[in-house]
Amino acid sequence: MPSQNAVNRSEREIVVETRNLSKTYRDFWGRSKKVALKPLDLEIRRGEIFGLLGPNGSGKTTTLKLLLGLIFPTSGEALVFGRDATDVSKNERIGYLPEESYLYKFLDAEETLDFYGRLFDMPPEQRKQRADALIEMVGLSRDKKRQLKEYSKGMTRRIGVAQALINDPELVLLDEPTSGLDPIGTREMKDLIIDLKKRGKTVIMSSHLLADVEDVCDRIAVLHLGELKELGRVEDLLRVTDVTQIRAKGLSTNAHEEIRALLKRHGGEEIEIGNPRTTLEDLFLEVVRDTQARPGRRARTSGISDT
Amino acid sequence: MVLEEEIPRFAAWIGPALLWYLFAGSLVAVLVAAVAWLVQSALYGPLAAGDRVYRGVLSGLVDLSGMSLRRIWALSRLAVQESLRRNVLVVLGIFALIVLFAGWFLDPTSVNPGKLYLGFILAATSLLVCLVTLVLSVFSLPADIRGKAIQTVTTKPVRTGEIVLGRIIGFSIVGTVLLALMGGVGWAFVVRSVRHGHEIAAEDLVEIRNDDGVSTGQEGRTSLDRGHRHRVDIATNGTGRTDTVQGHRHTVLTVKSGVQNGSSDQVTYEIGPAEGLLEARKPLRGTLRFVDREGRPSAKGISVGAEWSYRQYIEGGSLAAAIWTFGGLTEQSFPEGLPLEMIVRVFRTYKGEIERGIAGSVRVRNPSSGLQSDPFYFQAKEYTIDSLTIPRTLATTSADGGTRQIDLFADIVSNGRVEVVLQCLESAQYYGVAQADFYLRAGNGSFAFNYAKSCLGIWFSMLLVTAMGVMFSTFLSGPVALLATLSVVLLGQFREFILRLFESQVTGDTSIVPGGGPIESLYRIVTQTSITLDLDPSTTVTAMKTLDTFLLAPMRLGAALFPSLATLGTGDFVAGGFDIPVDLLAAHAMETFGYLMAFFLVGSLCLKAREVAS
Ligand SMILES: Nc1ncnc2c1ncn2[C@@H]1O[C@H](COP(=O)(O)OP(=O)(O)O)[C@@H](O)[C@H]1O
Ligand SMILES: [Mg+2]
Repeated sequence: MPSQNAVNRSEREIVVETRNLSKTYRDFWGRSKKVALKPLDLEIRRGEIFGLLGPNGSGKTTTLKLLLGLIFPTSGEALVFGRDATDVSKNERIGYLPEESYLYKFLDAEETLDFYGRLFDMPPEQRKQRADALIEMVGLSRDKKRQLKEYSKGMTRRIGVAQALINDPELVLLDEPTSGLDPIGTREMKDLIIDLKKRGKTVIMSSHLLADVEDVCDRIAVLHLGELKELGRVEDLLRVTDVTQIRAKGLSTNAHEEIRALLKRHGGEEIEIGNPRTTLEDLFLEVVRDTQARPGRRARTSGISDT
Repeated sequence: MVLEEEIPRFAAWIGPALLWYLFAGSLVAVLVAAVAWLVQSALYGPLAAGDRVYRGVLSGLVDLSGMSLRRIWALSRLAVQESLRRNVLVVLGIFALIVLFAGWFLDPTSVNPGKLYLGFILAATSLLVCLVTLVLSVFSLPADIRGKAIQTVTTKPVRTGEIVLGRIIGFSIVGTVLLALMGGVGWAFVVRSVRHGHEIAAEDLVEIRNDDGVSTGQEGRTSLDRGHRHRVDIATNGTGRTDTVQGHRHTVLTVKSGVQNGSSDQVTYEIGPAEGLLEARKPLRGTLRFVDREGRPSAKGISVGAEWSYRQYIEGGSLAAAIWTFGGLTEQSFPEGLPLEMIVRVFRTYKGEIERGIAGSVRVRNPSSGLQSDPFYFQAKEYTIDSLTIPRTLATTSADGGTRQIDLFADIVSNGRVEVVLQCLESAQYYGVAQADFYLRAGNGSFAFNYAKSCLGIWFSMLLVTAMGVMFSTFLSGPVALLATLSVVLLGQFREFILRLFESQVTGDTSIVPGGGPIESLYRIVTQTSITLDLDPSTTVTAMKTLDTFLLAPMRLGAALFPSLATLGTGDFVAGGFDIPVDLLAAHAMETFGYLMAFFLVGSLCLKAREVAS
C-alpha cells in the first residue's frame, strides 16, 4: 500500500460509505417488483464491528450485495475504500461470507481454498500456507480431503469462513454468520469476529438474531422493511435513561419492603424487581411497533456523529 | 468435391478481411451500445443512462487490462473439473459405439469406400465434439448463477473477462482432448477399414502374345476381397498394375523363388497395398469459361433443369466446349508433362449403353497463338476421376492435314499459361463440369497430415461453438442459450440460401429464389400455387411479402454477423482426397480467432452489465 494510505490508517478512516443508497428489484421487463432498500446513508470506520440488524426480508443481504457490487444501486452510491462498489479491484481487500456458503461442491476443502487463493493471484507457496493455516483455524484438518457435498451445515459454514479470509482481508462482510449454527458454533463464530477486530479488521455483519449482534457489535443499524430505523452504538441504543434497574442477591423480604419504601420516598414508581430481559429484543419490538404507528419514520441519518 | 468459390491466397485475403472485421466490429459495438442505452433510458432516463453506459464500457476496458493468467487458469481448471464431474468422458463410449456400428452398416463395396468412411468418421467426430462442448459451455454459467457459486467468485478480484475466457479455455481443453482421442481412433478405424490386399495365383494369369507370337505380358483377375476384384496386367519384366476399382489400384510384383529340379521355378505374385484410396492430392486449379454450340464464347453452359446450378453443361457433337486456363506452369514443376485429372458429370438424354462411358476429347491450346494439340480421347463415367497425362511431345494437325510434332512447353505453354479444351463427342449427350472439376495434379501431400488438418478445422468449429455458448450463457438461461447457439449453427448451415432469399425478397427478383419467404411459402402450399408462378398483386400479397421481409431481416443480420461452421468444415477435402490448402486453413484460423475475440468481448461486457446476484 502506498504511504499516503498509512496516514489514513487512523481510527477515523471511513472504510464503507453509502450515500442515498437504494435498491428496487425489477423483473425481466424492468417493472419494479420489490423495494428492498430505501435510501440509506451509512459510514463505517476502520476497526469497527458493524451490525445490520433486522428481521427476514428487511434488506440486510441487499445492503451487503450492494456494497460488494453484486447488484447495482437503483439510486445513490456505495463506496468501499473510497471506490465505487462495482470496482473489482476493491475485492483484493475484502472477504465475504454469503448467507449460505455458495461453493463448488465437487471440490474438497483444500482445492476450494487453493482455487480462491488463485483468484487472488497468490503464488503457490502462499496459497498452500494460507490454506493450511485457515483449515487448521476453522477446525477442518481431518476433513480437508472430503468433497464439500459431504459436509454438514456447520462444516460448510466453516469452510465458507476460511474462504472469506483467504486473502487476509481488511474488510470482512458476513451475512448471517451464525445462522444455522449450534450454540457452540455460534460462540466460536463470535469469538472469531472479535478476534478479527483485535487484528484491526473492519467487520460488517448482518443478523436477525439480536443476541449475536449485541455481544459483538460496536455499532448497529436496525433495518425494517428496507428502511433504516435506528443507528448508533449498542450501549447508547440500549440504555434506557428513565428506568433504573435493580438486581440484588440474598435480600430478605424485609429488605424488599425497605427498598420499596425508599423508592416511594424519592417519588419513584416501582415497576418490577426480577430478571432483566434482553433489552435489544425490546428495542427491536419497539421499532416494529413504531413503524406500524407512524409509517415512514426514519432514524437520524447522521448516526455516525454520536460515536 | 464441390468447390463453389475459389480459395483466395491468404496474403490477398487478409487485408480486406481485417478491414471488414474492424468495420463490422465497430458497427456492432455502436449498435450494442445504442441498445444498452435505450434499455437503460427506459429505467433511469436518457442522461443517467448515457453515463451508465459510458462508465460501463470504460470500466469494462479497464478490467481487460487487469486480467491475470493465474486467475484465468484457475477458472479454466474449474471448468475442466466441472466437465469431468458431468461425466463428459461418456461421449467417448458413444463414439466407440458409433465406430463399431459404422463397421457394420457402412458398405465397404461402395464406389469409394475411403471417402465414405472418412466422411462419416469426420462428421461423427465433429458433431460429438461440438455437441459436448456446446452443452457444457451453455449450462455452466447459468448453473453457477442459479447455484449462486458465482457470488463467491465475483466478490474476489475476478474480472468478468476472466470468467468468460476461463470457461472458453476450460471447455475447449475438454473438447481438444476429446477431439484428439476421437480423431486418433477414427484415423485408425478408417485406415484399417480400407486397408486390404488381393491374391492372384499363376493359374489365374494368361499370357498375351502379339501377332508374331511373342509374349507381351500376362493378364488376369485378382481374388474377390472387400467386394471387389481388379484386372491385372503384368509386363514382361514381371511388374504390373491393377486397374482402378473403388478409387484405388495396386502394384503387382512377380516373385521367383527356389530353383528346384532345373527349370520349374516357384512363381508367386505379390499384390501391394491399395494406392489412391487415402490421398491428399494437391491440385493446381484453373479458371473455366465456355463456348456455346455455335462456337461463340458464353459465360455459362447449359442448365439442364433439375440439376443444381453449380455445374454447367456442354452439348455433345457440337462446337460447345469447356475451356480451362491454367497458369504458373513451368517445365521444372511438370517435367513429365501435365498430369490432368478430370471429374466429368454425364447427363444422358438417352440411355445408350450404360456400362460404357460417354466419349469426349481433351486438347491443349496455346492461349496466345491458338496453336492446339490433337485431341486425346477418353470415356467419361459418373463418379470417377479420369486421369490423363498430357505428354511433353504432342502431335498437331494443321489445316492442310499435315501432322507435326510440337513440344508442350516450347509451343503450347505461353507465359506459363495453357488452355485445356473439353468437348463431348456424342451428340444429344451432355457433359457437366465445374471449375474445380479439372485440375493439374501438382503434387501429393501426406494423407495423415491432411487428416490432422481436417481435425484442426473441427477444432476451430469446436472453439467457436464453445465461445458462442459461453457468450450466450452470460445473458441467457441455459436452455435458451443452447437454442440460440443451435440457431446460429443452423443459420450458418443455410447462410447462402438466406442471403439469396433476402436479396430476392428485397429486390423483388423472384428468379433468385422462387417461392418467397416463410409466409408466402406457406400461402403457396395452402393454395397449391406453384413456386414459379408470380402471385397477382393484391393488398394481402403485399402485406405477406412485407411481413416476410421483416421476418427475414433478423436472419439476414444473423447470417452476416455470425460465423458459418459449415464453411469451416474441411471434411470434404479429406474425404475427396484433396489436400487442404494452407491458405484456406490460415483464413479459417484468422476467422475463428476474430470471432473468438468478438464473442469473448461481448460475453465479458454482458456478464459485467448483469447483476449476477439478483
Ligand atoms: N432477486 C430478488 N428479486 C426480487 N426481490 C428480491 C430479490 N432479492 C431479495 N428480494 C426481496 O427484497 C427484500 C429484502 O431482501 P433481503 O435483502 O434478502 O433481506 P434480508 O437479507 O434482510 O433477509 C425481501 O423482501 C426480498 O423478498
Ligand atoms: Mg438475508
